[in-house]
Amino acid sequence: MARIHIDHISRVEGHGALTVELDGNTVRDVKLNLFEGMRGFERVVLGRPFTEIPAIICRICAICSAGHAITAHMAVEKALGIPVPAQTELLRELAFLGMFIESHSLHVFALALPDYLGYAGIADMAQDHKEVVTKALQIKKTGNAVQELIGGRAIHHVNTTFGGFGKLPSQSEVRELRAQLANCLTDMDGIVELLAGLSTPDYAGEEILFMAIRPAGDGYGFFGDTIVFSDGREAPVDQYKTAFQETESQYSNAKRSTVDGLPFMVGALARINLFGDRLTGKAAEALAKLQIPVPSKNALYNNLAQVVELVYALERAIEICDQILAEGLKAEPLPEVIVRSGQGTVATELPRGTLYHSFSFDDNGLVTAADVITPTALNQASVEQEITNLGTSYAGQTEDELQFLFERLVRAYDPCISCSVHIVQVKAEGRHTID
Amino acid sequence: MKAKPRIGIYGLTSCAGDQLVLVNCEDELLTILEAVDLRSFVMAHSDNPEGELDVAFVEGAVTQESDLETLKDVRSRAQILIAIGTCAVWGGIPYLSGMGTPLSDHVQVDYAIPGCPIEKTQLLKAIASLLRGDLPLSLPHPVCLECTIRENNCLLQAGEICCGPLTAGGCNARCPSLNRACFGCRGASHDPNYVSARQILEKHGFSVNEVRQRLALFSGKAYEKEGTQVG
Ligand code: SF4
Ligand code: SF4
Ligand code: SF4
Repeated sequence: MARIHIDHISRVEGHGALTVELDGNTVRDVKLNLFEGMRGFERVVLGRPFTEIPAIICRICAICSAGHAITAHMAVEKALGIPVPAQTELLRELAFLGMFIESHSLHVFALALPDYLGYAGIADMAQDHKEVVTKALQIKKTGNAVQELIGGRAIHHVNTTFGGFGKLPSQSEVRELRAQLANCLTDMDGIVELLAGLSTPDYAGEEILFMAIRPAGDGYGFFGDTIVFSDGREAPVDQYKTAFQETESQYSNAKRSTVDGLPFMVGALARINLFGDRLTGKAAEALAKLQIPVPSKNALYNNLAQVVELVYALERAIEICDQILAEGLKAEPLPEVIVRSGQGTVATELPRGTLYHSFSFDDNGLVTAADVITPTALNQASVEQEITNLGTSYAGQTEDELQFLFERLVRAYDPCISCSVHIVQVKAEGRHTID
Repeated sequence: MKAKPRIGIYGLTSCAGDQLVLVNCEDELLTILEAVDLRSFVMAHSDNPEGELDVAFVEGAVTQESDLETLKDVRSRAQILIAIGTCAVWGGIPYLSGMGTPLSDHVQVDYAIPGCPIEKTQLLKAIASLLRGDLPLSLPHPVCLECTIRENNCLLQAGEICCGPLTAGGCNARCPSLNRACFGCRGASHDPNYVSARQILEKHGFSVNEVRQRLALFSGKAYEKEGTQVG
């Protein structure tokens, strides 16, 4: 029996280990251990005022901090009945797009692309591919510029508040940002061509079961009220607790999620499989050029699905800037917050997949229960299943080759291990159930 | 310092925000990578040779045995160890929850860059000093000073609770400049004038407990020392 063990997977965020047991051509066992330490968010939020929740919760993870911060604001607003003006929703969407541009470009170019081109990291890759690395960094920087402008800081936004913002961007700032976004979109043309020429290793497997939130309206997007699975199952977001099942893991600090015992995948590839037909413009062209097989049987294509979403995010951000430039922004007074008890559940799509936030408050607006489920935790069972498929297809290879392929597959999920481990699930009566 | 200092970048239990700030120096990143000998940066790179280090940057709090092992190992190999981020400097949220401790509880820390996350400008200045062979200078002033220089309207005076009087500067009063109160993410300032800060807060009608609870979010440890309690 051969055992392949990777004790600290590189080029992912946080600490994760992988152990695969092979018996001849059969993969006997796969364990993905997400062993990032516990920070105790569940103890911190309990009993704290609703005003502090977004700032605490966004510290779960830096890369998708904007997603955590905005989703937490939305969940609190829902719980306390705080009205959110359309302008605020539009600017929040823009901030989300900035997060997608930053996060996807970081993952695709700096973390995943070195695997395709045979380098240990972006520093080595830059020596031979300076032009594409320079363009990639420029795109990533623009994603951060969007977040700086709307969120007040690229990591852990400070400008977002209930119903609105501390300060609105000026027209000239939006104009400047639009110009940067347009340059990036042009640069993506050549990058899509380059990536379309790279080959993705194949392996035998079943159609992957996907989950995502159906975007509100007719277009593509990251906000909505319905959970959708690729086998046709559907559920309203506030019934997420019965839409899939979470179980404690014996060997990992994160929980595993399955639906009737089946692993499922969330993230860019899930969204492209479920809603890719809603894409238009250059994003639709990129999807055609990159030839992602849909329905997908190969999770490695998540890298290319992120490229399609990168094009989408740039196009949509430009559209929003144009709308702001045409209509202007109104300085609206922030809505009055009436402190009361309540419960709010919101799910949004983040770069790595669906994020669930659910909070309950007492009459004084203090937290009595909190539940946060992150994309990487949702993906854990799916990673293990796809590693099994990949290992079975390549069982004859050397250990080094297998190790490289396994790491590459874990990386394709773009795992964010800080996120997955810091599951928050508390109730005032029952004490916390997991850290 | 040698022509190419050997650098290692490590994350203990963290959100990776401070490591990400380095990766977010898009304009400077390639220049920095050329100027240093990067021996370890697992988040961004495979094949990390490790070995002796001139400077180690360490993010995050110590929450588990493996964090402590990493920290001690890095300390034993590094000439200079720099704590990056409020979690590493003060313990941050893990300290508040009782699950983590700052680096200085376990090893000698030669320099601390606070912030949640750290500010890019401060990080770049620190790297520039290190490349010249100096330790960077500490910033002794609180957020309030930067806020006053920027001529912002004072939120405390407008009746909002703001932690600027007690919080370490260096962010150029980021939040008050957006009409948002400082919530102390950079941790306690070096030598805050607690008594007068407390008087200011009380004068504006805030209970000491309220301020304490806020400041405890990021640097509760700072307010445990004798005589420095805000309350
Ligand atoms: S200090 Fe802030 S940014 Fe740095 S690791 Fe801690 S929570 Fe993340
Ligand atoms: S707004 Fe806050 S940081 Fe600025 S001067 Fe007033 S108390 Fe100080
Ligand atoms: S103003 Fe306060 S909360 Fe805002 S970034 Fe500076 S230290 Fe952090």
